[in-house]
Amino acid sequence: MLPFLLTSGITTGALYAMVAIGLVLVYRSTGHINFSHGELFMLGGFFAYTFHVTVGLNYVVAMLLAVIGSFFVGVASDRIVYRPLIKAPGLSMVLATVGFSFLMKGIGRFFWGGKGEYLSIKPIVDPAPLWIAGIPILPQQLIVLAGALACMIMFTIFFRSTLAGKMMQATAENPRAAYLVGIKVEQVYTYTWGAGAAVAGAAAVLMAPLTLLSPDVGFTLLLKAFAATILGGLGSMVGAVVGGFIVGITEALAGGYIATSLQEVSSFIIIMVVLVFRPSGLFGVYGIRRA
Amino acid sequence: MLDVRNLNVWYGVTEVVRDVSFSVPTGSIVALMGGNGAGKTTILNTLSGLLKPRGGELALDGESIKDRHPHDIVVRGLVQVPQGRHVWPGMTVRDNLDLGAVTRKDKDGIRADIEEAFALFPILAERRDQRASSLSGGEQQMLAICRALMAKPRMLLMDEPSAGLSPRIVQEMVAAIRRLHERGLTILLVEQNVGVAGALADTAYVLANGEIAFSTDGAELATNPDVLRSYLGR
Repeated sequence: MLPFLLTSGITTGALYAMVAIGLVLVYRSTGHINFSHGELFMLGGFFAYTFHVTVGLNYVVAMLLAVIGSFFVGVASDRIVYRPLIKAPGLSMVLATVGFSFLMKGIGRFFWGGKGEYLSIKPIVDPAPLWIAGIPILPQQLIVLAGALACMIMFTIFFRSTLAGKMMQATAENPRAAYLVGIKVEQVYTYTWGAGAAVAGAAAVLMAPLTLLSPDVGFTLLLKAFAATILGGLGSMVGAVVGGFIVGITEALAGGYIATSLQEVSSFIIIMVVLVFRPSGLFGVYGIRRA
Repeated sequence: MLDVRNLNVWYGVTEVVRDVSFSVPTGSIVALMGGNGAGKTTILNTLSGLLKPRGGELALDGESIKDRHPHDIVVRGLVQVPQGRHVWPGMTVRDNLDLGAVTRKDKDGIRADIEEAFALFPILAERRDQRASSLSGGEQQMLAICRALMAKPRMLLMDEPSAGLSPRIVQEMVAAIRRLHERGLTILLVEQNVGVAGALADTAYVLANGEIAFSTDGAELATNPDVLRSYLGR
């Protein structure tokens, strides 16, 4: 049973990793946890569904449009909700992201909900499993895995080697200093919220053929990704990916060997254990902030 | 020439800067002095566009800089070296300098200016690939000054460059500021250290409770620092 649990754990882990990457991206440059990140994922998935299934566009074109659409939802969220709160206390921002998540869930339900069923997208590639060393692996699983790794590598290079990435990081580390050298801090935030949403959209697009879409998919996913970022160390790209895989695999093993009911709870247990024993996580880069 | 006329700044319901007027002639060093809470840093942050004044006029070379975005103020050549240095701790010395030049496009000029910064403070060249968090307080101050220079300022706003540094490093800092001045930079210096202000400033303004209480020229400051000490309460 172990190989089966591992492959399914690794695939869901890759999904959590991708969602976590978006969380980390936003956290690294704005210093805020985006509690509406799961709903951005949900919208990205429905965009892909609409373009591909409803409109009938080619899968790749639909994917791209969904990611671009998600980017603009992220940009809009900044302009409408977050920018007016740029100087407000951190808690206002937390509440704003939670509020925005409800708004998006409402939008999701209005346009794509109420059909009494989950929507699904057909896989991009041949759905027949590949047998590797006696273990069946869906090609779509490999695509999700590759997508997560590509995203991680891309963003790590982006932060380390490009001026735009450094501007984002500088803004996160010390916004006052960023203003003083002439960085357009507001613009950095806008692009960050956009990029975070685009990654959520990309994750949704890759994952949609494996899971089913529903307007309520966001919150559970956010919790898992949140557990992954806490485990990996809030702010670390590599940590988000490693954390995502650990959460995914733990969940699969706990569900398979102990009890199915533990599957859903395991991410909470991970969050608790990490916060008690190693609050900065596995790859924590920013240490602990105390209020 | 920087011209500040009848500046008023409030934090919520508290007036922290009241009707302050002074000017910084091109090519001079002007010191802004006063105890803690006198309003010195507030004035610098208003000049940099971080705070919005409630009243008054701010002009750089005849052009109003009031209510401008901090970016526009840096582009116009007015750059601040903040108090407490505010370098980016998780980034390297080199990254900090590169980011100081975000408003510029001339790659060759930027490269040349980085070399010039390293010539001004050679220790930074040795530490170029280290994280700023690993630098000493004096080195971080040097980095903060160089980062501001990377924006090619016409005028520097320096907020307590000697704070928290050892006497030897303070001397080094005074010498460096003098060199910058000789290269043509106009400097508005916020200082609590009378010795530093006396050694550098052409004119000094003393703030008390958000108002200018007293002004003096640099020569008097150097020869008769006691007058000033009485205002600063030490």
